[in-house]
Parts: sequence; structure tokens; C-alpha cells
Amino acid sequence: MQHLDPDRLVLLALSEESEELTESDHLERCAGCRHDIASLREVAELGAESQELRDLPAPPERVWDAIEAGVARTAKPAVTAPVVSLADHRHRRPRRRWAPLVAAAAAAVLAVAGTVAFDRFAGQRAERSVAARATLTPLPTVSADASGRVRVLTDGALEIDVRNLPLTTGFHEVWLLDPDDPTKMVAIGNLSGSRQDVLPVPPGTDLNRFRLVDVSDEPHDGDATHSGKSLLRGTLTS
Amino acid sequence: MSSDDELAERLRSGDEKALRTAYERHGAAVLYLAQRLLGNRADAEDVTQLTFVAAWTGRDGYDPQRGTILSWLLGIARRKVVDRLRSAARDERVTETVRTQLSPAAAPETPERIVDRLIVADELGRLPDEQRRSLELAFFDDLTHPQIAAMTGLPLGTVKSHIRRGMASLRRRWEVDGAAFGSRSAGPSRAL
Repeated sequence: MQHLDPDRLVLLALSEESEELTESDHLERCAGCRHDIASLREVAELGAESQELRDLPAPPERVWDAIEAGVARTAKPAVTAPVVSLADHRHRRPRRRWAPLVAAAAAAVLAVAGTVAFDRFAGQRAERSVAARATLTPLPTVSADASGRVRVLTDGALEIDVRNLPLTTGFHEVWLLDPDDPTKMVAIGNLSGSRQDVLPVPPGTDLNRFRLVDVSDEPHDGDATHSGKSLLRGTLTS
Repeated sequence: MSSDDELAERLRSGDEKALRTAYERHGAAVLYLAQRLLGNRADAEDVTQLTFVAAWTGRDGYDPQRGTILSWLLGIARRKVVDRLRSAARDERVTETVRTQLSPAAAPETPERIVDRLIVADELGRLPDEQRRSLELAFFDDLTHPQIAAMTGLPLGTVKSHIRRGMASLRRRWEVDGAAFGSRSAGPSRAL
């Protein structure tokens, strides 16, 4: 039995040509060719319909933001080194609370990821994944459209993205504060003035303790301590 | 552009950037499906979010042997749509109405059809340029082989072979990824 030629099947499926009598006869008798042509017709129809799917608009960025937030909520601690769990901390430390900060800290679910910089000691390159992240919000004295986002990677890199920070005659500096004792803090580094920066978190920093990210306005006064002028804050969660 | 397999590998190893890549590649298709099925933009965006978060948490369950990442994501999206419709039905106690509306007879378009179309569109986009172009002229502009040859300046024989090969690729993908879809995601999706 002479089956229909593949080129011919395509032409018929696209309705570019119509069946000859001998072809109709064959199709009636041959389930294989019938199946082929039915499949190709279906594909041709779907292909024609797919025109409206070209250049589908990308979903708005808020969808991705929501995905990131959802993923962050489900994240397990991604660190390989011994993790200082929050539960341990709570157990060990008396609850000294520092009122202005606690409101923000308490609102967040704290399940933070541990100590930075184990890979260096482990002597192997761990995968870079996110150990903790924070959304920074402006303090009341700062314009409400100022904002920021922070991600701390397992290798200790702190990625920060800030928007609409007030202008400064000095510079903007990033800190990690201990919300339970806000006189204790780690200076992370200053922002370059571009929107995004990557700063190194000192190896050994306990992100469970120093979990409050703070961006301050620092004058050029040669005083390395915090100026007391905080602009943005947010609590790290894993 | 990394292949599906590589992307799957990165996803499984917990690389969040791979999720972003999958989202950039297929987020629009997931949103389109959700919107077609739910008819509501806000719900569709929610379902898109839930789909990718579920894909992340369930990334170990993705098996490249069983289909592409796109069909896997669309399968998750359909289940999320079903969940959403069920909870809406529970809330409003209009299960019966919803079921009627969703029965294939009443629906202008089945979820399978929308999924198949997305799969074919995706495959069309992956074809080599000349094949894709020839097929688009045939599908979208309804041109014949000789017209396509005249339009593109390609020899008629080349156009024929582009179209035959392109159609074969679309068909293969559709049979693997599209048609198999319904049976793979039997379960809650059947209700749709």
C-alpha cells in the first residue's frame, strides 16, 4: 500500500491543496495516514491560533516580588556551617527589648539563617544562595518613597538596592544592628551612590543577632561611629 | 539560552536565579493560562505567584523525562486554578453553577486547548529562524508554499522542507507535552 508522502500530508493538513480521489481512498483505508493528517491538522490549527501568543506581555514586577516573598517564607536555612538558631538565642538571652526597634522586629517572623562566612574555613566554594533578606522602609523623618531591599548571600556578600534616598552632604553607610541591644552594631560599608551595591559582611557575623539592617546618613566628620541619623531599616529573615 | 535540562538541574540544586529564569521564560504563559481560566486579572496574578512558589518548593518533583518545564508549570497552574475555583465555590456555595460553567460543553475553550496552544507557540519560538518564519507565513498569513518561497527568496524545495520539518517538530512537542498533559495531570485538574 502506497502511503501519502510526508510533504503531501503537510500540504493537505495546511489545506493548501485538496485530496485527490486516490488519496481520499487511501485515507479511508489507512488508519496510520488518517492519524498523521489529523495530528498535523490539529498542529496547524494550534499554530495559527498561537499568533495571539507571540509577545505575550510579561507579568508586572509585583508578581515576581510576591514570588520572591513566597519563596523567602518557605526557605530553609541555606548555610552549611553550624547555624546559630534563633530558638537557641531566645533561650540564652534575656528579653531585653529596645522599644522603637522592637515594633518592626516583632512584626517580622524571625527565622534567620546563621553565621556568615563558613565557606572560607570549609575551604570549598559553597553554592551562592540567599541566607537572609530584608525589605527596608523609611524612618518617619524620611520621605515615604525611600525604600530598599537587601539580600545576604551564603558567601557573605550583602546585596543592597536602594531607591529615593535623601541627598546627603556626607555619605550613606550600611550597618547591621542588634535590635536587642542597639548600641551594638557592625559597620558594613558605605554606598557608592548608585542604586545597587554589594558589600562584604565580615566573616563570623551572627545574622541572628545582627539582624536589623540600617542605612544611615553620615557626615564627613571623621567619626567612625553611627551618626544617629538612620534613614532606612529592615529586619533580616531567611 | 540554557536548555530545559540545565535549567531543571539548577532549579533542583536550589539556585534561585534558575527560578527567575523560568519565570522570565514562562511567567507570561502561566499568567495567560490563569487569566483565560479565571477571567480575572487579580486572581490570575495570584495564581501565577502561587504557581512559581509551588514550583520552587516542589522542584524536586520535576522530571524532565515527563515533559518540559513549561508543561510542568502549566500543570501546576491548572491545579492552582482548580483550588481557587473550588474555594470560591465553597465560599459562595455555587458549586453547581461553577461546574456547569466549566463543563467542556459550556466553556468556549477547554484548558487543554489553551495549554496546547501555549506549548505549540513555545515550540514555534524554538525552531530555527527560517523554519519558524516559513511556518509563521503559512499559519498567520495563510500563504502557500510558492508564495512563501517568493516572499522569503528561498527555493521552493527549501520552503517545503522547512515547513515539513517545522511541522514535525511542533507535532512531536505537542504529542509529548501537550496531548500527554491531560493524562499526566489527572487528579484535581479533571474537574476543570
